[in-house]
Amino acid sequence: MSEPSIFFSEVNERQGVFHRRAFLFGGLAGMGLLALGGRLAHLQLVETSRYAKLSASNQFNFRLVPPPRGLITDRNGVVLATNRPNFRLLVAREDETKPYETMKTLAEFVPLEPARQARLAKDLSVAPKRSPISVMEDMTWEQFSAINVRAPELPGVTADMGEVRVYPHGGAFAHVIGYVAKVNKEDIKPAGPNAEPIMLHPGFRIGRQGVEKAFDLDLRGRPGAQKIEVDAKGREVRQTPGGDLAAVPGKEIQLTLDSDIQNRAMEVFGEESGAAVMMDCRNGDILCLFSAPSFDANRFVRGLTTAEYRALSTYERKPLFNKALTATYPPGSTFKTMVALCALEAGVDPERTYFCNGAWFFGRTFHCDKHHGVQNMHSAIATSCDIFFYQTALALGPDRIAATARKFGLGQIFDLGIPGQKPGLVPDTAYKRRTFKKDPVWHPGETPSMGIGQGYTNLNPLQLCVMVSRLANGSKAIHPRLVRSIGGVAQPSGAEAETLDVDPAHIAFVRNAMAAVTTSGTAANAAQLGLGPIRMAGKTGTAQAHTYREGERTSRNLAWERKDHAWFVCYAPVEEPRYAMSVLVEHGGFGAAAAAPRAREIMRVALLKDPEIRARIEQPTPMPEYSPDAFPDVAPEAQTTVPPNPTGTPT
Amino acid sequence: MTVSALTRPGERDRLIVKFSEIDWLFCFVLSLIAGAGALMMFSIAGSNWEPWAGPHLIKFGVFFLLMVALAMIDLRVWFGLAYPVYVVGLLLLIAVALVGDIRLGARRWLDLGPLGSFQPSEIMKLGLVLALGRFYHGISADSARMSWWLLIPAVMIGAPVVLVAHQPDLGTAILLTMTGLSVVVLAGLSWRIIGAGVLAALVSIPPMVMFVLHDYQRDRILTFLKPENDPSGSGYHILQSKIALGSGGLLGKGYGLGSQSQLNFLPEKQTDFIFATLAEEFGFAGCFSVLFLYSVVIFMALRTASLSHSHFGRLSAAGVTATFAFYVLINGAMVMGLAPVVGVPMPLLSYGGTVMMTVMIGFGLVQAVRVHRYSEVTSGKGALL
Repeated sequence: MSEPSIFFSEVNERQGVFHRRAFLFGGLAGMGLLALGGRLAHLQLVETSRYAKLSASNQFNFRLVPPPRGLITDRNGVVLATNRPNFRLLVAREDETKPYETMKTLAEFVPLEPARQARLAKDLSVAPKRSPISVMEDMTWEQFSAINVRAPELPGVTADMGEVRVYPHGGAFAHVIGYVAKVNKEDIKPAGPNAEPIMLHPGFRIGRQGVEKAFDLDLRGRPGAQKIEVDAKGREVRQTPGGDLAAVPGKEIQLTLDSDIQNRAMEVFGEESGAAVMMDCRNGDILCLFSAPSFDANRFVRGLTTAEYRALSTYERKPLFNKALTATYPPGSTFKTMVALCALEAGVDPERTYFCNGAWFFGRTFHCDKHHGVQNMHSAIATSCDIFFYQTALALGPDRIAATARKFGLGQIFDLGIPGQKPGLVPDTAYKRRTFKKDPVWHPGETPSMGIGQGYTNLNPLQLCVMVSRLANGSKAIHPRLVRSIGGVAQPSGAEAETLDVDPAHIAFVRNAMAAVTTSGTAANAAQLGLGPIRMAGKTGTAQAHTYREGERTSRNLAWERKDHAWFVCYAPVEEPRYAMSVLVEHGGFGAAAAAPRAREIMRVALLKDPEIRARIEQPTPMPEYSPDAFPDVAPEAQTTVPPNPTGTPT
Repeated sequence: MTVSALTRPGERDRLIVKFSEIDWLFCFVLSLIAGAGALMMFSIAGSNWEPWAGPHLIKFGVFFLLMVALAMIDLRVWFGLAYPVYVVGLLLLIAVALVGDIRLGARRWLDLGPLGSFQPSEIMKLGLVLALGRFYHGISADSARMSWWLLIPAVMIGAPVVLVAHQPDLGTAILLTMTGLSVVVLAGLSWRIIGAGVLAALVSIPPMVMFVLHDYQRDRILTFLKPENDPSGSGYHILQSKIALGSGGLLGKGYGLGSQSQLNFLPEKQTDFIFATLAEEFGFAGCFSVLFLYSVVIFMALRTASLSHSHFGRLSAAGVTATFAFYVLINGAMVMGLAPVVGVPMPLLSYGGTVMMTVMIGFGLVQAVRVHRYSEVTSGKGALL
């Protein structure tokens, strides 16, 4: 201090107090600042690692990347369901997003009708923040790039490239494979795998029917993650590729189906309604599982309009329905194979004859479509004589017939892996007791109808295919298999089955009779394969779809929905069967006329695709022995040009 | 120029003498703090002078000139203006309560039409200090210690505090109370009254919190006590600020690399929470340096107050220093999670013209006290106003 001391003489009491207190105040302020410094040291030096972690978890976010959905292929690797790139237009709500204006602007780039604009704007304003909704799928490249150029001015709008499911075969596999669709609120609710956050991704699709639904978790794969730096509002600042986790693609599922056979089945059905199921009767692999009419699953992926859906669901031929599994029909005369086998097993003499004059009286008149005359079991199968089987069945009773039928898979559900099978019904006295409380007794008058596959009997086409497969196989109770492998892991084959508890000679008898069906019997014309030595055996069926009125003997002139169902079950080749199938033409009329020709066409594809069968067909007819004496006019010098045959055997 | 020039009445009124008597080291420290603020604003704006760093420096420059100009004003003028400023401030606070603009749910602003709008509570921060200084200048030490006279400063503090708290502006109300009480204590209040007052305050805080405060104010205080109850709601500020501070570590994440502030996790990153921004990018070293600068400012200002020969000069300079110190302590405690979020910025470091203006005018007064430390101030004969 260089001030003159005279000024300090002014010290008075007030100044003294102030100095003391100012000193104290300074001390307190200093302590306060030191306390702040101590707190800083604690936060920044002692606890810094904890806060560094919290800071990193603020800064980085992982964005889910949907995995590519697994492929579905046929037995030969032909792709039945795959993914293709899809330019998508997404809008997410952010603070600055004005839903209606945004939609109006977007309508300049992509077609958006005003009604759709309004609906999307409403969806957008109720959607959670930053959870994008899809405005348009499958934009063209021009639209995609135009939107991308303008996106920075449109908050929340992004155009990205995702993947969309595509079914190259359109309708042929629609019932088996099903389709994928957007995720519903109901899908997310149940606990378990569906609670995954990836379900909320706008590009994510969930399996809705068939294989896509049943194996959804296998096909789905594991989502990847993109490490992105985000700001406090969760908006992406930049990507940090180092931290990405790759998505694991879904598993590839190979089916036992054959795309050529399946496509042929779709062709031959045309506008008709029905189903065709073909199995390899050696191992149970299902080669064809088709239901007609079908629908284009690709339309479901895109999202059906209400009008489209209404048209599909109200059409009387029920295209959305898998008739091969879900619908059951009376099997008609195809069931006679079972009745005959049952009779043989019961010790009935196959040469026992009945006389057919077109009608037989048992409580009421039972009709036959022709006057077959004297019939033994072989000819009754070939000509499909009802009179014979009315009486045979009556002698056997329902329980024995039902037991035999069940051995051959009728009335059962098979584990194909896909949902929607109906067991149908093979009736017996127990069924009658269980179901009809007022009239629990099986009346003998009900048995003749059962003998020709009518009455309570209701079966699905898959069961009849299994039946004919087991007949053709002759020894094993093979099971059908639809899924060949999942992600390269082979699924258990249907060939691992117990031996049938039936005398092989009896099966051989029935098979002989089925061969007669296609040579001299009901399907003698319709079931000619035209493949030389390879022939087909089968059994026709014409099942009444409604009760005929008095005097009515044919359904030919009735409306479609009252016409008879046409059946044909068959296998080929006759001697060493490989392929067994059942064909149903719903309300198709006569089995021999509607079902057998279709079965024949589908069977031809299967046989011609089989290299061994094809070799047999193409085997040249042996030339007659060469004998020079038979051709005396051959010039003698021609012989000298022939090289000597080293082996000495004739060629 | 020597200090002795100030002792000669004819010479000490020369502007050049006054100018050279300004504490230029003090001014330099102020500039360092403001510069640190601008540095952080430049960083969080993504290396841009806009929108904060440039305006911040320009404002500081303008207010720095204002401070120097105010330092030239004779202390007797300050003395004369003390009551008028206080009265005008009080009237404006009443006007705000009646016709003020409501922004963000609080009636704090007075619209001046084309001149823009301002918060009269800022005038009161200075007005209260001046008025109390003038009051205590006129009474004896005994009266200041304990007498019925003390009811007058109690009313002088109480009236603006009630009006400001009613706006509601809790931060400013606390600041005004603490500044006013500081002056009262520095003026020599009896320790007995101080002790009784502290006791009464401690007893009355819980019922005050529960019944008098607005819901959002109560929420802030309860959140402060248990921030983990509501990490995304009112606890968010405190949590994010602590993350920014803690993740800074010893030396910080580096200039421009603070993820908390750069990515907007830190709320009010350029204003109330700029200290956390600084902490994140420069770590403990940077924070400690800035706190050191603040303590230098406080101690230099207190020393200036002590040097004054007039009681008015001492008390008003000390009052301004107290305001500044409380700003720093409250904001520091808030940013570090030691106090509730009450909307008190870090003076000179934070962006915002109002508080900077208040602080720089205050320091203009402090420098005026320094420059006129030998002047007699009296309300009687010889007063300028």
